[in-house]
Amino acid sequence: MSGYLEGVLVLLAVNVVFAYGGFLPLAAGQLNLGLAGFAAIGAYVSAYLSNVFTLAPVIAIPLAGVAAGIVALIVAVPVLRTRGIYLALATFALGQIVQAIILNLEVVGGAAGYPVAAFIRLPAIAAAAAVVVTLVWLLFATRFGIAVTAVHDDERVADLMGIDVRAFQIAAFSLGSAITGIGGALYAHHFSFIEAQYFNISLSITIVLYVLLGGTQTVIGPLLGAAVFTLLPELLRASANWRYVAFAAALIVIMALRPEGLVTGAQLRRLFGITRAEPRAAAVAAGLPKERAG
Amino acid sequence: MLGSIYAMVAVALTLSIGVLRFLNFSIPGLFMIGGMTAWASLHGGMPWPLAIGAALVAGALASLLVERFTWRWMRNAQHFVPLVSSMAFLLLFEHLAVIYWGSELRTVPSLFPNADWRIAGLVISLPQLSGLVCSIVLIWALTLVLARTRFGRGLRTIAEDSDTALLLGVDINRIVPVVFLISGLFAALAGVIFALNYRQVQPFMGEMVGLKGISAMIVGGMGNIWGSIAGGLIIGLVEVMSIGYFGADFVDIAIYGLLLLILFIRPTGLFAADFAGQRA
Amino acid sequence: MSANEPILRLDSVSKHFGGLRVIESLTFAVRRGVRTALIGPNGAGKTTVFNLITGVFSVDAGRILLDGIDITDTPSRLRIGYGIARNFQNIRLMPHLSALENVMVGQHCRNRGVRGVLHPVNLVPRNRWREAARAALADAALIQYERSTVGNLPYGVQKRIELVRALMAQPRLLLLDEPAAGLNPAETETLQAQLEKVCIGGLTVLVVEHDMHFVGALCEDVIVLDFGRKIVEGSPEDIRHNPLVQEIYLGAPAAEPMERHSARSA
Repeated sequence: MSGYLEGVLVLLAVNVVFAYGGFLPLAAGQLNLGLAGFAAIGAYVSAYLSNVFTLAPVIAIPLAGVAAGIVALIVAVPVLRTRGIYLALATFALGQIVQAIILNLEVVGGAAGYPVAAFIRLPAIAAAAAVVVTLVWLLFATRFGIAVTAVHDDERVADLMGIDVRAFQIAAFSLGSAITGIGGALYAHHFSFIEAQYFNISLSITIVLYVLLGGTQTVIGPLLGAAVFTLLPELLRASANWRYVAFAAALIVIMALRPEGLVTGAQLRRLFGITRAEPRAAAVAAGLPKERAG
Repeated sequence: MLGSIYAMVAVALTLSIGVLRFLNFSIPGLFMIGGMTAWASLHGGMPWPLAIGAALVAGALASLLVERFTWRWMRNAQHFVPLVSSMAFLLLFEHLAVIYWGSELRTVPSLFPNADWRIAGLVISLPQLSGLVCSIVLIWALTLVLARTRFGRGLRTIAEDSDTALLLGVDINRIVPVVFLISGLFAALAGVIFALNYRQVQPFMGEMVGLKGISAMIVGGMGNIWGSIAGGLIIGLVEVMSIGYFGADFVDIAIYGLLLLILFIRPTGLFAADFAGQRA
Repeated sequence: MSANEPILRLDSVSKHFGGLRVIESLTFAVRRGVRTALIGPNGAGKTTVFNLITGVFSVDAGRILLDGIDITDTPSRLRIGYGIARNFQNIRLMPHLSALENVMVGQHCRNRGVRGVLHPVNLVPRNRWREAARAALADAALIQYERSTVGNLPYGVQKRIELVRALMAQPRLLLLDEPAAGLNPAETETLQAQLEKVCIGGLTVLVVEHDMHFVGALCEDVIVLDFGRKIVEGSPEDIRHNPLVQEIYLGAPAAEPMERHSARSA
């Protein structure tokens, strides 16, 4: 496989992981504008652990994810006490602060950046991404998925139905941040050099945008969004900057015409064989008595 | 000085939030457009009044573009859609600037290099003074407009309750573009003042400088003009002080740390009040 | 929990909003298994009573007891666990969940805790929670809508789904806020039959309604509210003939039994 192709696929895998990191809070109704900060925490913790303690990436990366998740947990309680726009702003401030702190941390290179010794290749990264996607998919197939969507749709009623809104929001926020941290760590161990300047508000915005592009109603949406963002410009042979211009323009148009994103829940239900949007009353009802006896 | 720049950006943001209830993330982008257009025009040999004018026009046009594609179509959609689109616009503007002008840091030629005043041991240059005066005058003019004119009353009514405003016959469809126009002009002018004073511009200056206007707005009091002015001055002060005491590297930590603190403790800001400044 | 203890008791409950006294020293009881109606003119505070019982608002004074247990200070989230379920005047289903998933939200209070939350309800084909929800929908003749996006369904169907959701919590006390509003006569009859059926199982129903025919057909006890106070209580027949009640609704004493316009929009 050519180095170029490997690079693109690695970027795809990393973006997919970032996408799911951004998807979790959005699914619970929260906008995390500090994603880059958590990616940075993951990247730098993993790089540090593998550089200084010579931990293998397969250990360092999950640990870095946990670290990002813990930071998220610590700030989640005060941050999530804010609502809506204030929450978005608090996460934004958080991301900026993390970036600024790292810029000043000489132990990891400061403004000059930090080289990463341990190197991992596409198969490992793709596997990690696959694990993340599978875990999130499984998670959303449990009652967690229903509860989180309920919280997103109607906090008041979710609360009255016995759902601990606060707990689910904190869980979604922390888990999303941990996943984003893993994404950052994967990035660090492949591109072998990380600098604070990379983990800026543009990165956070970009991730949020391609998650919204794919659609936050289904678990497939983020995958699609990351894929479109990463692969389409490659196919069109766009330069780095035109890719962003096109992406931003496409987003603006999509938000105007179809704010739910590319994949919606209703669409998915209609698409997958056994499910029907139209009632097939007679057929289904006829089949029922046997099932109910069970 | 920096405080007045932050104040202008904060006022631009506040106009959006207060009247339109939406956090316009494209404003740092308009700040950059103002600054870079001014540089590009001066660089191309334009006399400075025209260069400033070109920058303002560019900012205004960009702002109206944002209006067309965020506000006009999406008012009724989910609440965060305009915010998201404005973020996309920020990216759009930044990368278009890189494509058009390159990503290097550019130096703005110095205007009036010999017109410095020495007052009480401080050196004040003409751009500094005029920038300061300009922002004060404009902000003051804005508050006058808000308080005295029919247009201003319309804005305040919408800010308080857009349904009532409709009932009272305020023409929202005509006012909204004007709000975008004004906030765009303020943002662009702030960029121009920054460019002329600090003499450095680059496509991501919106992120470096303009974004701090958000901190100024929140710290001072979200959605309230006087608050954002106060916030701008406070943030400017915090910046200068943290450079003095901790060094330039800690500025961002201080400014965004303050923002986070305020969001935790008193999200309505230090000077919480309604749009035109009446006590909340 | 004695057999004579009413299932719900409000004791001198008051609620003010700013200067406005919406509920004023309200005292009433709902007896176990008795289908009870809460009626009163608009603004009497009926929905506020529901909001106080479910914990959306906290009381300013007084106590609320469920089966003898003081739930006045219990957080709203926990009250469904105590056995109080409700519907909403303007239907509040989750637009991004299918009808089946909406119903499954009602099960949440019975399936909590980490293990409950991680239950793979949508993964395993014959998951018992999912099957139970499907059975409930089938019972209400709604199974054909199980995968539908609720926002596109007809009003009457959505209302019935909301009722199934509330019943999935297996409550002791069901609060219904204008359950018949917007239903056509056939749907209203179905609703009545459905409610009578669930009450046989021991469920107590407290209904806020304007449709006096519905109230007369379904309920055994009627509590009349006005200005946040209990005015009178009795059987539907008594209430219909009560001059005080007529005065509240009509503004003046009437000679004939009161005939109340239904508030249906259908």
